[in-house]
Amino acid sequence: MRVEYINPFVEAAFDILKEVLGDDIQRGELYLKSTSQAVQGVAAFVGLAGNVEGRVLFDMSMETALAVASEMNGETLTELDDLGKATITELANMITAQAVTKLHDLGFTFDLTPPAIFTGENMEITDNEVEALIVPVIVKQGKIEINVAVRERT
Amino acid sequence: MNAVVDKAVTAVIEGVENIDFKMVAFSLAGKDYSIDIMKVREISKATRFTYVPNSLPYVRGVYNLRGDIISIIDLRTMFNLPSVKSEKNESDEIIILRLDNYLLGVIVDSIDKVVGISSSSIQPPHPIFGDINIKFIQGVVEKDNKLYIILDVESIFGLDAENVEVIPSQYTPKAVYAENKPEEINMGFISETLRTFSKFTVTDLNNRWVEHRFEEWKTLKGNNSEDLQLHSERDSEEFLSRFYSVDTGRFWSEDYRNIVSSLLENNSSGTLRVWNPGCGKGYETYSLAVLLSEKFKEASIKIWANDKDLMSISNAPNLALDKQNLPEYMDKHIVSVNSKSQFNQKIKDIVLFEYHDITHPNTFPAVDIIVARDVLSFLAYSEQLRMITEFQDKLVPDGLLIIGQNEELPGNDWKKIKSNSITAYRKIV
Repeated sequence: MRVEYINPFVEAAFDILKEVLGDDIQRGELYLKSTSQAVQGVAAFVGLAGNVEGRVLFDMSMETALAVASEMNGETLTELDDLGKATITELANMITAQAVTKLHDLGFTFDLTPPAIFTGENMEITDNEVEALIVPVIVKQGKIEINVAVRERT
Repeated sequence: MNAVVDKAVTAVIEGVENIDFKMVAFSLAGKDYSIDIMKVREISKATRFTYVPNSLPYVRGVYNLRGDIISIIDLRTMFNLPSVKSEKNESDEIIILRLDNYLLGVIVDSIDKVVGISSSSIQPPHPIFGDINIKFIQGVVEKDNKLYIILDVESIFGLDAENVEVIPSQYTPKAVYAENKPEEINMGFISETLRTFSKFTVTDLNNRWVEHRFEEWKTLKGNNSEDLQLHSERDSEEFLSRFYSVDTGRFWSEDYRNIVSSLLENNSSGTLRVWNPGCGKGYETYSLAVLLSEKFKEASIKIWANDKDLMSISNAPNLALDKQNLPEYMDKHIVSVNSKSQFNQKIKDIVLFEYHDITHPNTFPAVDIIVARDVLSFLAYSEQLRMITEFQDKLVPDGLLIIGQNEELPGNDWKKIKSNSITAYRKIV
């Protein structure tokens, strides 16, 4: 992945998560992954288009998703209902949109697709021929893995 | 009617055939092999061999055969055939060989039977034999519609150390040093520790340099085996300090630039694509970009530069320059942004820095030049092999590959261009 893309995504994830979930937030070590990987339980997905092709995936466990959605709504959710799903989707949208704005300032034009959310057990995601940058973020509600796979159009 | 006659005729021919050679037939990875029965003492089934530490990879262990301790060798491993996982308690089929004055057990997939043939029907092996080095094949014989490859056990298991070295196919990690000479044990340790401390993998790619350096190392450190070994990352880096190519990790000097320049041929196609894996902080990539943009003014140039070390590569796209340390030939490509020196946009646009692990899929199109100095040696053996194949695939015919000056590609798939401080190859068309 192009080096210039990395920081905007990391920064956006940090800024937004800090804003909505509070200061207690840590970053794990960034790394690259190319094989298929397990998805923890809830995955919000935003596609990217424009100069590039790719997608951003926000991956967390069901418990984390519930805790995050509860925190953002100011009420305790016991299951991931429509409100919960909409909240997680919105979180994904906010982070990706801010990253894209930052990238735009650097001269890279990206478009977003509307976010989608996947939930279920034992899910796995496979990207053919694109390696993903993994940004693990630890908040007090649990771990959120941001999985960015972008490549230049050739 | 005809079939009956044929059979009768065959029987007659077989009847007169003089059976003077008997061999034990067995199968290995789906092929039929055989060994001269005079070399075989017995066949046996056994399991749970006693593992011997630090032995050659194909030595499975030792085994107590009615009081005689014999070594057990796994033929699959020895011939670089994929090994099969055996069931836990299943015993292996072993042929016990009697060589000059010692016994040796070899594990095979399954032992078939004893086959009698006429020694005159043995044909010499054909050079294109695949899995097993032709040196170890005594001949080939057909019997009952089966083709048996007769192994020459004397030359395979002969005491001659030279042979042991060549058995693995042309390109193997150097686990081969385990002969009884003390200095070779050290060499084995050296390659182990280089791997542990510096991720440097000793293979045919760099073996020549490592051996040469080890000689140097001995003069440097004295012959005390304790001092010779590498005890820490620092020792290992010291050992490797001479390995790195000229101008590694910094801007190329004018001299080196001119050497590289002399290898480049006039490019008429109008586009020039370059791959620079393991670009690190980007100094060498920019040197290359400057060189190419001056030499091929008209061409549209693109360099893909990757590194898997995020810390190194993250500053590469906007590399801040120290004007004092810049080679003079670069001056005209430098601009000042916010009182800091940087490369101008034209040079920057040539290079695309990517945080990327080259052992993952590489998706860009075919390239004209690959510059991978001192990169392959720091990959594991299987990755080295894969990358060399990938280089083959990615390069256009007659494309140029530059690797570290102390590295060399094994095999004959490449046309070597050697000049003073550069090791380069062209892809054979």
